[in-house]
Amino acid sequence: MINLLKIEWLKIKNYTAFKVMAIFFIVGVFALNYIVFTVNKNIVNNVPGAGLVSFSPYDFENTWQSTSYATGFILLLPALLLLMLFTNEYTFKTHRQNIIDGLSRQQFIGVKIITALIYALVATLLVIISALIFGFASGTSFSFNGILFVGYFFLKALSYNLIAILFSVLIKRTGFAIGVFFIYLGSENIVSQLLNVLSMKMKKDTGTDLGNIGDYLPMNAADALLEFPDNPIKTMSKAIMPTDYTWLVFALAIAYLIIFYVWARRKFISVDL
Amino acid sequence: MGILSIDNLTKNYGKIRALDNVSFVVPSKTVFGILGPNGSGKTTLLGIIMDVIKSSGGTYTWAGEEQKANDFRKKIGTLLETPNFYHYLSAEKNLQIAAKIKGRGEEDIEKVLRLVNLYERKDSKFSTYSLGMKQRLAIAAALLGDPEILVFDEPTNGLDPAGIAEIRELIKELYKGGKTIIMASHILDEVEKVCTHVAIIQKGVLKTVSSVAELMDTSSANAGVEVLIDICASDNGALKNILQQLDGVLSVTAVDNYLHVVCAENITGEFLNRFCFDKGIVLNKLNVKRKSLETRFLEITGKQSDK
Repeated sequence: MINLLKIEWLKIKNYTAFKVMAIFFIVGVFALNYIVFTVNKNIVNNVPGAGLVSFSPYDFENTWQSTSYATGFILLLPALLLLMLFTNEYTFKTHRQNIIDGLSRQQFIGVKIITALIYALVATLLVIISALIFGFASGTSFSFNGILFVGYFFLKALSYNLIAILFSVLIKRTGFAIGVFFIYLGSENIVSQLLNVLSMKMKKDTGTDLGNIGDYLPMNAADALLEFPDNPIKTMSKAIMPTDYTWLVFALAIAYLIIFYVWARRKFISVDL
Repeated sequence: MGILSIDNLTKNYGKIRALDNVSFVVPSKTVFGILGPNGSGKTTLLGIIMDVIKSSGGTYTWAGEEQKANDFRKKIGTLLETPNFYHYLSAEKNLQIAAKIKGRGEEDIEKVLRLVNLYERKDSKFSTYSLGMKQRLAIAAALLGDPEILVFDEPTNGLDPAGIAEIRELIKELYKGGKTIIMASHILDEVEKVCTHVAIIQKGVLKTVSSVAELMDTSSANAGVEVLIDICASDNGALKNILQQLDGVLSVTAVDNYLHVVCAENITGEFLNRFCFDKGIVLNKLNVKRKSLETRFLEITGKQSDK
């Protein structure tokens, strides 16, 4: 496996898009959290009477959740990079050449999935570092409470990365795959919002509470696990919202991950390359 | 002993049958040509034995394959259809990847690059290479690690005449060095010049498989022993008249500006030349041809490539 990863490394280390994306992502994680951190701090300090509401998103324990949530917005970057690296293989037909040279199909798709896992781990590590930095910067004392949200972040990162792998295997052409990826994410979001509105209406009209149905869709399941920490106003509004069945959303997110993995792997192993 | 046995390989693309129950054995230490017109299934066949295409039926076995098929592929040097490399990487870096996949060290890279005359350009990106250079890099990659078996699909594709001659020479050298070479080609001349064995396929069906020498022999046995001689003089009309008086001349046909003479086996070029000279006609061209693979190929596959 180490040898396979070394081969992947040879492929990407001189790839310009890799360097650009990596720098954008690393800088992005800290910049994004810095912005959210500063904006919130200024609001809290400047709104009259805001001191009464004791809420600060980057205090320990909130920092784990806030950082995970905010960083979630740039998870598209590693996913896009994976998509480009994989579809490049199709463009250059090097996926065939690698097999011809002696990799098995299982090894080829396997190392791509491991790479997706590594990207998710690195992103999670960056989230942990940045949660610590801003947690301490807000002057509160350290606590592990709420670190579960970092786990949710990892799940979300892996979902983005694995769906990128799946789209690569299914679509093969770089530009087309990127387009379909964005269209899919966009339209799933719209459908999810509509379903959530319906869920709310259903609860209000009939009293049936099925949770936010939109959260049960593939990409939204992982998304829905991460929300901005509840401030007092949001907590009040939650009374009229459908219940968050976190356990169900979590189980679905895991199930979708397994589907992405099995589908991509099986497809790559069984088709003509 | 066979190094590769193919048994009833079949491949369907939808309703189209690209390969139809093809079976043959590739003997060890030969240059085995797979000859067929474009679209006859050559590349499909090679794709299947390299595991990039899934067969619809049948099996193939590499010799003594106690090991897994993909480990065996590491010991085969292959060039399929087009050169496949990472466009944004240099030749050297591309070969490093190939060497790592094959489990070879990097010490071979300089040697193979020099062999195909690309060493000076080793640091240039693959995307800057010309078609011929790409093809040569693919051949260099195939030679990495000095493999015992080489699989080439149209190896001289895109090369200039000097490059074509070099590659043919290289294949002969490899053969002399005891390697087994499996080569697909639609160029008859190429197969005739470098191959020891040949399988002819057409529209996915195996038409014949034998050694090249045997194939030629069968040809003369079937058609009666004949010699083909092309000759030409300043007055072809007169030449034709006197030739028709000669015993052993079976037919004389005027083709363009020369005469195509079919005669019995006992007529030699020297004899024919002396005969004409004695009759007062000086030849300005004389070309004795043995029956070529081309004739034989057309006999087997029919004249229209699409029959």
